[in-house]
Amino acid sequence: MSDALLRVENLHAGYGDFVAVDAVNLAVEKGEIVALIGINGAGKTTLMHTVAGLHKPTAGNVFFKGEDITALPADKIVQKGLSLVPQGGRCFQRMSVQDNLLMGSYVRSARKNAKQTLERVYELFPDLAQMKQRPAGNLSGGQRQMVAIGRALMAAPACMIFDEISLGLAPAVINDIYRKIARINEEEHTSIILIEQDIRRAQKVSDTFCIMLKGKIVLSGKSSEIDSETLKKAYFGI
Amino acid sequence: MEKRRLNNGKIKVLDSLPMLIVCIAVILALYLVCFTQIASTNAMRYMIQIFLYIAMAEMWNLLSGFTGMTSLGQQLYIGLAGYSVAVATTMLHLSLGLGMAMGIGVSILVSLVLSLLLFRMEGMYYSIATWVVAEIFEKLFLNWKFVGQGSGMTIRVEPYPRIHSICIISLTICVCAIVVVYLLLRTKVGLGLNAMRDDVGAASAVGVNVFRHKLLVCVIAAAFTAAAASIFLVNKGIVYPESGFSISWTVSLIFIVVVGGSGTIGGPIVGSVIYVFLQEILARFPGWSNIILGVITILTILFLPKGIVGTLQQKLHFDIFSAKRFSYSKRK
Repeated sequence: MSDALLRVENLHAGYGDFVAVDAVNLAVEKGEIVALIGINGAGKTTLMHTVAGLHKPTAGNVFFKGEDITALPADKIVQKGLSLVPQGGRCFQRMSVQDNLLMGSYVRSARKNAKQTLERVYELFPDLAQMKQRPAGNLSGGQRQMVAIGRALMAAPACMIFDEISLGLAPAVINDIYRKIARINEEEHTSIILIEQDIRRAQKVSDTFCIMLKGKIVLSGKSSEIDSETLKKAYFGI
Repeated sequence: MEKRRLNNGKIKVLDSLPMLIVCIAVILALYLVCFTQIASTNAMRYMIQIFLYIAMAEMWNLLSGFTGMTSLGQQLYIGLAGYSVAVATTMLHLSLGLGMAMGIGVSILVSLVLSLLLFRMEGMYYSIATWVVAEIFEKLFLNWKFVGQGSGMTIRVEPYPRIHSICIISLTICVCAIVVVYLLLRTKVGLGLNAMRDDVGAASAVGVNVFRHKLLVCVIAAAFTAAAASIFLVNKGIVYPESGFSISWTVSLIFIVVVGGSGTIGGPIVGSVIYVFLQEILARFPGWSNIILGVITILTILFLPKGIVGTLQQKLHFDIFSAKRFSYSKRK
């Protein structure tokens, strides 16, 4: 087995007869930031949901830390150290911010160090410490996104997937969140997969990139070596 | 706004030692009333109804208010329990205890089998599917010769227990139901259930095994609903398809939980007391009772969406039987 942290091999997934993910191969090294770029309906979210065990693949394999995790249910995959921050910062609305975060260490592997991890999350997001007793439903979009990131961090993941983290947020808030993501990557050596529509931003923050179109990866490579014109063409499929 | 934020930090939790002592004292007092037979037969009859409704409503609240699985088919387990007790006592001449055990066993078995089918659906679809399943069982029993088809079965328990012993059994079921719900919610499982109520997808993404949690809650709800219902129907002395599998059972439970306070443990207790007395008053207006109950439910949803107990907790900033274990224990 190669030493990639996460390896996706010939993965197929879909809804009924519709094929959303078509023979995708992908490798994520340890400590790397990968940008997964594509227009709406390209299959980015379905691909990542399939990797995280939230959606069943029709063919292919997913390897994490050298182990085959294709058939595992979502809770077992979280326990192995692969966490997903779902689209739109989906929080548990009626639970307090702190309970939301503690929900992140729900799996057995993370529970032992929950207290220290919680301190770490509050250190990373001082705003959240200020409002830990407030119900998450009362927060703003950006704050909710932070709760969702903090919650994923609570599982002490080796690899985190961020699904369109910038969706519907103000540019200043997005910048702030991206700085936090870079910090997480730097300090914890967490591998990060960013699903993103903003090509320029994605290219700037990532080490490598993959462009998806109609369920296939059409272009991938090192982010620093590609010119933006080629990237744009691949994004729109022209 | 500023005021609310200040108060949010200082919610008092009344489930510490003094609260525990008060609860135990109340329970002991109720047991004493039952044992010494101070209360009149009439009072006992009300108490039995209240206890049994509390047990069933706590279970419906566990399903809907805490887990987000709004079932409209709890009458399925009520009917099954009624028929099980009838078969066990009237046909096989077994004791009431064995009859109840049989009812609980059958209900658990049926809920396990149905889970495979029902858990594929969510939200509104789940609600409708549970109702449909209950209706299917009603039609099944309506055409089943062994259980007397449409005319149903009489439940003859010999020796027939005295009213105060029925009262004691009801109280025991009620206390067990509350304790089980409370303990369940205070564990890690309870936290997972609350997360599922707010967002099933996100809960699954943080590692909650949704299927297993749903199964656990459904089996517990089926077992306690069956236990409470078997006593209820023994008291009535007869079970037939239209009564046992009637949707009006679940409608009463919804009324109790909504008026009392959905998502609180105290809610079903307050709701049951109100419901039983309201039923008595409404008996004077035959035909109108369901309309009046419906109007009250709608008004409660519009003006007191958190129910009586939920609103009181919000206004007075306290929490009886708090299910919020994590925040408070880790705040120190």
